[in-house]
Amino acid sequence: MSANNDEINNLLNQDYKQGFITDIQADTFPVGLNEEVIAKLSKVKNEPEFMLEYRLKAFRHWQTMPSPDWAQLKIEPIDYQEISYYSAPKSKDNGPKSLDEIDPEILEAYKKLGIPLAEQEQLAGIAVDAVFDSVSVATTFKSKLHEVGVIFCPISEAIREHSELIKQYLSSVVPVGDNFFAALNSAVFTDGSFVYIPKGVRCPMELSTYFRINASNTGQFERTLIIADEGSYVSYLEGCSAPQRDENQLHAAVVELVILKDAQIKYSTVQNWYPGDKEGKGGIYNFVTKRADCRGENSKVSWTQVETGSAITWKYPSCVLTGDNSVGEFYSVAVTNNLQQADTGTKMIHIGKNSTSTIISKGISAGRAQNTYRGLVKILKSAENARNHTQCDSLLVGDKCGAHTFPYVEVKQPTAQIEHEATTSKISEDQLFFCQQRGLSAEDAVSMIVNGFCKQVFKELPMEFAVEAQALLGLSLEGSVG
Amino acid sequence: MKTDMSWLNTFRQSDLTHFEQTSFPSQRLEDWRYTNVSAIEKKQFALASQIEKLDDNAKSRLAAFTLNDCYHGIFIDGFFQASLSTLPESITVCSINEAATLHETLLAPVFNQAIESPHGFTHFTNAHFSDGIFVCINENSQLDKPLQIIHFATQEAMSATRHVVILQNNATATLIETFIGVETQTYLTSSVLEIFLRDNADLTLYKVQQDSDKAYHFGGTYVQQADNARFTHHNFALGSVLARSEIISHLETGAQCELNGLYLGANRQHLDNLTRIVHAKPDAVSREYYKGILNNRARGVFQGRIVVDEDAQRTDSQMNNRNLLLSSDAEIDTKPQLEIYADDVKCAHGVTVGQLDEKSIFYLQSRGIDEDHAKHILTFAFANEMVDKITVPSLHDCVFTQLLARFPEGAER
Amino acid sequence: MLKIKDLTVNIGTKEILKGLNLNVKAGEIHAIMGPNGAGKSTLSHVLSGKSGYEVTGGSVTYNGKDLLEMPAEIRAREGVFLAFQYPVEIAGVTNVYLLKAALNAIRKHKGLSEVDAMDFLTLVKSKTKALDMDEKFLYRAVNEGFSGGEKKRNEILQMAMLEPQMCILDETDSGLDIDALRIVADGVNALRSENRAFIMVTHYQRLLDYIKPDFVHVLADGKIVKSGGAELALELEEKGYGWLEQA
Repeated sequence: MSANNDEINNLLNQDYKQGFITDIQADTFPVGLNEEVIAKLSKVKNEPEFMLEYRLKAFRHWQTMPSPDWAQLKIEPIDYQEISYYSAPKSKDNGPKSLDEIDPEILEAYKKLGIPLAEQEQLAGIAVDAVFDSVSVATTFKSKLHEVGVIFCPISEAIREHSELIKQYLSSVVPVGDNFFAALNSAVFTDGSFVYIPKGVRCPMELSTYFRINASNTGQFERTLIIADEGSYVSYLEGCSAPQRDENQLHAAVVELVILKDAQIKYSTVQNWYPGDKEGKGGIYNFVTKRADCRGENSKVSWTQVETGSAITWKYPSCVLTGDNSVGEFYSVAVTNNLQQADTGTKMIHIGKNSTSTIISKGISAGRAQNTYRGLVKILKSAENARNHTQCDSLLVGDKCGAHTFPYVEVKQPTAQIEHEATTSKISEDQLFFCQQRGLSAEDAVSMIVNGFCKQVFKELPMEFAVEAQALLGLSLEGSVG
Repeated sequence: MKTDMSWLNTFRQSDLTHFEQTSFPSQRLEDWRYTNVSAIEKKQFALASQIEKLDDNAKSRLAAFTLNDCYHGIFIDGFFQASLSTLPESITVCSINEAATLHETLLAPVFNQAIESPHGFTHFTNAHFSDGIFVCINENSQLDKPLQIIHFATQEAMSATRHVVILQNNATATLIETFIGVETQTYLTSSVLEIFLRDNADLTLYKVQQDSDKAYHFGGTYVQQADNARFTHHNFALGSVLARSEIISHLETGAQCELNGLYLGANRQHLDNLTRIVHAKPDAVSREYYKGILNNRARGVFQGRIVVDEDAQRTDSQMNNRNLLLSSDAEIDTKPQLEIYADDVKCAHGVTVGQLDEKSIFYLQSRGIDEDHAKHILTFAFANEMVDKITVPSLHDCVFTQLLARFPEGAER
Repeated sequence: MLKIKDLTVNIGTKEILKGLNLNVKAGEIHAIMGPNGAGKSTLSHVLSGKSGYEVTGGSVTYNGKDLLEMPAEIRAREGVFLAFQYPVEIAGVTNVYLLKAALNAIRKHKGLSEVDAMDFLTLVKSKTKALDMDEKFLYRAVNEGFSGGEKKRNEILQMAMLEPQMCILDETDSGLDIDALRIVADGVNALRSENRAFIMVTHYQRLLDYIKPDFVHVLADGKIVKSGGAELALELEEKGYGWLEQA
């Protein structure tokens, strides 16, 4: 088996391809956090008064909160005074008015990442908001979206120009004091995307945000807010990467989704932050709060995530199924290798009648990594006939890693039906031998088996992302029999 | 009988210090998140004292649960009753207080060795136990009849018992733990049982917790299974207003562990079951099957954890937890966990909460049985599947009687 | 005894039965054959009252009563018996208990008293023996851990015990080896009588070698496309179903 394990490891051990550093001039705040820093941040971003109040309130609350209990994670304490809370590429003005004004180095950086921003090269059918360190540098197809009434812009712009929507919905899903990182994010978030899909509109293209951390010693605190008004639909994609650096960097994002009656949001993530080197040096701490509130009847949210990067991932995209007949879905592939740690899963809170949820989680653990699924299915008394189906599978590669499954099921309604299944296994020699006996190389066989293992999740991804996700696993589909 | 129990008193003292510092566990502890035991503290129970004699009512209750085809070790309010007990002569068995001096060489080296993650209740029990049973079965020996240990509570007080069971290489035995009390009496029973199974030993243990409906119950069973040892446990949580049961077993190479459980909650009962199976060495097999039915305002908790250590290659482990809620005020919280540090393993767990199988209901209907009756039959059968696993006839009848009383409409008579 | 008229049935929005007609008289044995997906199992499920099927048109009259109006257990008590293709396993319920509960439910429906415990035991033991089944099966949980052949034999045992009028055998031959098939067929043949009718749903002619039907119907695409005597089955065996679909 050891020979085969080596091949699997080779596949999983490919170099981090997005680890380059872009050399640009940047305005970066000195490290440290206090009320003055927040006031300065708010001023730099030209925010209305209510935002400063909001941020200060969040900051004061954060100061009263204890650092979180890390459960299954091993983590060094973070010094929040050693982080810079703002870094933006230098520009003549407050922000680039058109692509011509963006530093060509940045355009080049995104091009390298496979996200061309220049008009003639833009990805067909996908509108992109590109966030570089603390600011959004470009949003494509803005005007085309505007024609159908879709608002897709940096959240800092929305704060200035759509403040009514911001006032109504910001922190309405994830309250300021929800958790330590949500509070910190509310105090210091710098940018992120804002989406509003009006009543009855099916967004004509995929919306996408690409987050890039470039500067060192900075934290990225982005904020995303998506509102799907009654009967609307949007598919939103999120990607990310960071340079290879020896120190850990903090990424603490908050994503809020509001889904009204008959509306649907499909939210896909390919998370590929720098994972640190083979000895566990460097890498991003990825502490994210993602939550969707299915407020209206028949509303639906689906989270799909492929988590391959970060030194530590700590996120639980959640669904609050408030509306009757609302639907929550969570599809996840989490891959950990070397000394990576992932503690991820979901929460399904059933409130509405006939609400249904599905959880499919696939964890692959290799090297000396620890991969934990942690999930909660909670059926409140009001959720008559609620249904949940959960499937959590773990695949272990090598005998130094760990795979853990920690589901919580809390049911207060007798008509609810819950099924939870979990398995842990390795790629069996029988499976490998079978494939090899049918003429496949061990490498192809492993590739096929791992892809097969993740298939239920990959099929939920939009096409472009599915391809990227498979590539990220370092696995070719060639020779796959399906 | 004045004996030197200084080594045991050292343990007592240390646990007492711990208990005085921490008291009973708080819900902030992960293993106690669903169970609030503050009611016990509010009761301010005194420690039970030895009673003179049982009244007729108590006598008949004790008689009703005394199984005819077994040996008996009887504890009343935590105190060993030599005159009421019938202990086997072929093996080493006596009260633990006696054993502390008589069998110090056997007992002292193992005492407290099987207790993993101690907490307020284990400290309390170790600090305050009045007595307990000590059993040691020699190599290649067999206990010819099951030994029933009866814990009978009569006073409004708290009592604790502390048992140690050792099965030497190739020894075999069946033990039954019965927990009962005078009906409607309020009390706390706390009991800790340590079990050491040497190579290839085989123990079947039954626990029937039928404490009074106002009682508080803690029962912890901590097991060490040496190479190829087999441990089979059948756990029935039927009584008390608040009960916590713990079974933690530690498996060496090739050991086999089977945990079966049934919790039937009604009214305001709160039944918490924690199990942990630690696969420490290769080739061990574990099977766990826990079922619960919760009615009225009852709340059930299942916390099952399978741990596979780095060395435990070729572990084969399955855990299953199934629950039925019969009332809109009932609740179940279940937490099946896999914690795995080895790669060549086959581990799975499954949980269901919900209604009876529709196909089975239709099958019964297609044979002429109406839907309500079909549901009663299936509910009864859901529980009976666990009762059916009991192979001691008198015990089977005893538990089956309890089941009939709970679900008369679906019962097979 | 049974009249099916223009029966149309949907599963969800998909039409499975598209106007099926069939008349079955007491004493007759009808075989319904057809390719996979023709609607054979749908027909047995609809007749026995399984949920999940929507009858969109037509009627089914059984002994002059509207069968489709009756809940599943009433149909059973009125004498409609389905031998399942995949009998379910029910942990914790013994076979003997199921038989007794079912028999008493049916007797009560007919205005009879509950069966005496001793009489019941004598009866069930003799029937078990006739089917070459070990008595131990009676005390095991319904179908739990039974082999495919044992499950099917168990279905016939229930049929023998409950003495239905209208027996529907859904793919009873599937998963049976020759010996088991013969025992099952003998069991069915022993139950043939002039006031009992059978509908045998089957894909293969094999079962019909052992239980000779009076009529053979071909069900294809939700309708009976051809009917004939026992010889039709042989013709199907030889030619397959393809030639009928072209017709």
